[in-house]
Amino acid sequence: MTQARGLITLVTLIVVAVQFAVFTEWRFAGVVVMLVWLWPVAVGLTGLTSLALFAGLLSGLLFDAQSATPFGLSALVGLLLAYFASRLGKEGVGDLDSAALWVTPALAAAAGFIAPLIFVVSGVFALNFSLWRGSLLDSMLVNAVAFFLLARPVTRVAFAMSATARRARR
Amino acid sequence: MASDRSRRRLFLVGIVGTLAIVTVYVTGGVVAGTKSIARTVVSPFSWAADFVARPVGHMVAGIVNYSDVEAQNQQLRYLLGRETLQADQNAVAAQQLRELSQSLHVPVAATLGTVFAQVTVLSPTNFSATVTIDKGQDEGVMDGMPVVADGGLVGRIIGASSHSATVRLLTDTGSVVGATFGNGATSVLISGQGLNNPMSVTGIPDTASIGVGGLLSTNGLQGGLFPPGLPVGRVTKLIINPGSSSYSVTLAPTANLNNLAYVDVVLWEPST
Repeated sequence: MTQARGLITLVTLIVVAVQFAVFTEWRFAGVVVMLVWLWPVAVGLTGLTSLALFAGLLSGLLFDAQSATPFGLSALVGLLLAYFASRLGKEGVGDLDSAALWVTPALAAAAGFIAPLIFVVSGVFALNFSLWRGSLLDSMLVNAVAFFLLARPVTRVAFAMSATARRARR
Repeated sequence: MASDRSRRRLFLVGIVGTLAIVTVYVTGGVVAGTKSIARTVVSPFSWAADFVARPVGHMVAGIVNYSDVEAQNQQLRYLLGRETLQADQNAVAAQQLRELSQSLHVPVAATLGTVFAQVTVLSPTNFSATVTIDKGQDEGVMDGMPVVADGGLVGRIIGASSHSATVRLLTDTGSVVGATFGNGATSVLISGQGLNNPMSVTGIPDTASIGVGGLLSTNGLQGGLFPPGLPVGRVTKLIINPGSSSYSVTLAPTANLNNLAYVDVVLWEPST
């Protein structure tokens, strides 16, 4: 498990780095694609809840560290996405090999659509009532499309890592 | 295998922990140190990813935009020549303004020192309009200082470390600037409405003489966040609602906030 967690930490750091180096620069319709939220969804779909929560928390906190939005909000969104994706993953819903080709991208697109909304609603807890005035709808749509397109390759990486975790457990 | 109950417990612990972090942040607790550590951890990976991604990005952008870049370059050369001529004329006026402001004891932006800085990071999220610059406390940059570029106000410093600082742009939803127009008799508030949205203005009476294209600049009121006279934006839309005695105004920032590469930090601290 320690080996799997180490691997998750390393990949999460790379995901956060790619987020800043690539997706912050290459915007689509002026919107940043939140790879740091897709990653916990992908890990969650493997069915490994604790690793998914760890990935969501770590990627969210590392992202929040560089952002001017309230610290911890992205991590909160990451945790929620990771948990609910892992519930589906437990049922084998998002399994890349056994489920239909469109299932994983569709689940990821739903996560991408809802994630910015969760972020804005969570902002109320941080007494920030103006987050919705950003590009909420654009953000939801662009992230849904981007998550749909990126879901399979990112989930493939997550499944490769989950295989390592399962081996370590035996 | 962990049971459902233990997984749920782990999830709840995570949620409560994260909410605690948010609470500490909101109440102004010790989060700055945590942020700094996290930045240090991510920076080598960011640097490596940037090292790989940037040339690829530049190559793609170069191929796609070559003719635009060349046309832009010619236009910029022309504008540079024109601005050089204008700068020479302005130097005389600036000298007169300096002498006048000194005699009146009024801080004017043109008389204040600046720190030249490069924009290193654009806002990483869709919900805040910020940029990071490569100058910080060691170069004299402090919290609250105004930042200008491209002929107008860009925003203000909201966090400075030793060699970098974060600038909250005018378009950020948390940005509010006190401004004035025309003869300076009316003071209004300009609020940011998000990264890709125009700013809004409240409090312009329907008797005010202002039209589309009108320039608003900082009012520099006692205790204000900005020195007077910094151009903020130009009116793009002016509507008067039935039954209202004031205009509903939207305006575009004077500076192009979508294409910031270099900025000047004005060495002026808000009075408390």
